[in-house]
Amino acid sequence: MGALMGQPARARVAGFELALDRRYQPETHMWVLPSGPARARIGMDPLGIETSGTLAQLSFVPIGTELTAGSPFGQLEAAKFVGPLISPVSGAVLAVNDAVVRDPGLAERDPYGAGWMIEAGVTEAGVTQARRTDDSRGDVTGARAGLLADPAEISAWFAAKVADYRLKGVIAQ
Amino acid sequence: MLSQVPPPTAAGPVTGTSPEYVRISMASAITLRVRSGRFSRDFAPGGINLLLSYDEGCLSDCGYCGLARARVASPEVRSFIRVEWPLVRTDELVERIVRFEPALTRICISMVTHGHAYRDTCDIARRISARARVPISVLVAPPALNRERLENLRSIGVDMIGIGLDAVTEELFADIRTNVPAGGLKWQRYWDAVTGAREVFGPWKVNVHIVVGLGETDEDLLALFVALRDRQISSYLFCFNPEPGTRMAARPKPSLRRWRRVQLARQLIETEGYGLKRFGFDRDRGLARVRAGRPAIETVVADAKAFMTNGCPGGKGEPGCTRPFGSYRPGEPFRDYPFAPQASDLEEIRQSLRLEGLLE
Repeated sequence: MGALMGQPARARVAGFELALDRRYQPETHMWVLPSGPARARIGMDPLGIETSGTLAQLSFVPIGTELTAGSPFGQLEAAKFVGPLISPVSGAVLAVNDAVVRDPGLAERDPYGAGWMIEAGVTEAGVTQARRTDDSRGDVTGARAGLLADPAEISAWFAAKVADYRLKGVIAQ
Repeated sequence: MLSQVPPPTAAGPVTGTSPEYVRISMASAITLRVRSGRFSRDFAPGGINLLLSYDEGCLSDCGYCGLARARVASPEVRSFIRVEWPLVRTDELVERIVRFEPALTRICISMVTHGHAYRDTCDIARRISARARVPISVLVAPPALNRERLENLRSIGVDMIGIGLDAVTEELFADIRTNVPAGGLKWQRYWDAVTGAREVFGPWKVNVHIVVGLGETDEDLLALFVALRDRQISSYLFCFNPEPGTRMAARPKPSLRRWRRVQLARQLIETEGYGLKRFGFDRDRGLARVRAGRPAIETVVADAKAFMTNGCPGGKGEPGCTRPFGSYRPGEPFRDYPFAPQASDLEEIRQSLRLEGLLE
């Protein structure tokens, strides 16, 4: 992703590892990373995972399902919490990670890698254009989702969220 | 309730025995910020549930219980439906209780069947009561109890006692708790504990834990609710949930309709004064009729307390022990609500109850 050239791929922010080679949907903690021509991998960042509690089950919609940015592509169930997994982009589901379905702990242990959740058919341009400040609501590839792309902006958002979650008492201390 | 306590898993310290260590429920761990996490619905959980921890585990072998000695399950299976109970140092726990005391409503220490359970329960209760004013309950293991010990628990500062009878008839109790591979629990011993606790702790300070769905009839349940109510003893309901690896793993949980009707009947008996004659039963002794006017029943349903978690109250009489998702997964419908049910919840409750088929 050209916008990130020269940036370190990972940073440590407020005690959490933060990957800076991808884009984030700030309300849902979902990340998007192009994984091939016209496809992107989607997962949840470690802060989203951590504050959900110990994961018990992940389930995803079937391959082929057409997603709209902001619509659910699955469900996360943790020890005391259940909630939808919200797609940060629009596009068809091309693959689901069966390994993380079998072992949800993968998403806890390796949220940026082996713990990815689905792949969707979306162009890199579509992801790149899906900027938080972009209000072009007609863009089917994710503009509505308002993705963060700038590493400095991502880091600031992430640090603020950690502080907020600590205040709310959902992070162990 | 011992029967609904999930098994420990390998997370956290691998070993650690009471009284220096104690297990805490996952909801308690989140409340005390031992673990990260949140709840599906926004509410303030103030109940802290503790469980004694021993290398030998619980020495009983109840057919439905995750702590049963003879249970066979891999760690992954064990943690699938029920969640881990983290192990914490007791002194660290006490520090956290002090730190979060304003938000806490009730602490419950669950014994297990073990030779040191009484001694260690007293030790832990003393450490807590020396530092905090949160009311303390003990879910006792009757094999380890006598009247002197009950009096001692009271003198330490314990104000309520729970007895995990779980099975509501002597025959059922024998089938799943006594005459089992490593069983031996005695029905009469449990009732002796109920009687002793009632005498020592007083009216409405003793509760009997009852698991719905172990094979009993509704008539069995309601008869027990009446008998306990007449002795000013509370019935606390728990919904059977099959534990993988236990002897009752294949048994289905009770239907939501049956569960809701039993919840309603319990409320009518315990707080509205209904006797057994106000209820009608079918040929299988299932609850078929409530002899009451619809407005009276609708009032109880709308009040919704019948469908909230049965648990010891907080110091000001508020719900104290909330144990959210204690016997079901967060993705399933609430069996008991750890908060006052909202309008949408009441809609679900009414649909499940199907009152039109219950009222004359």
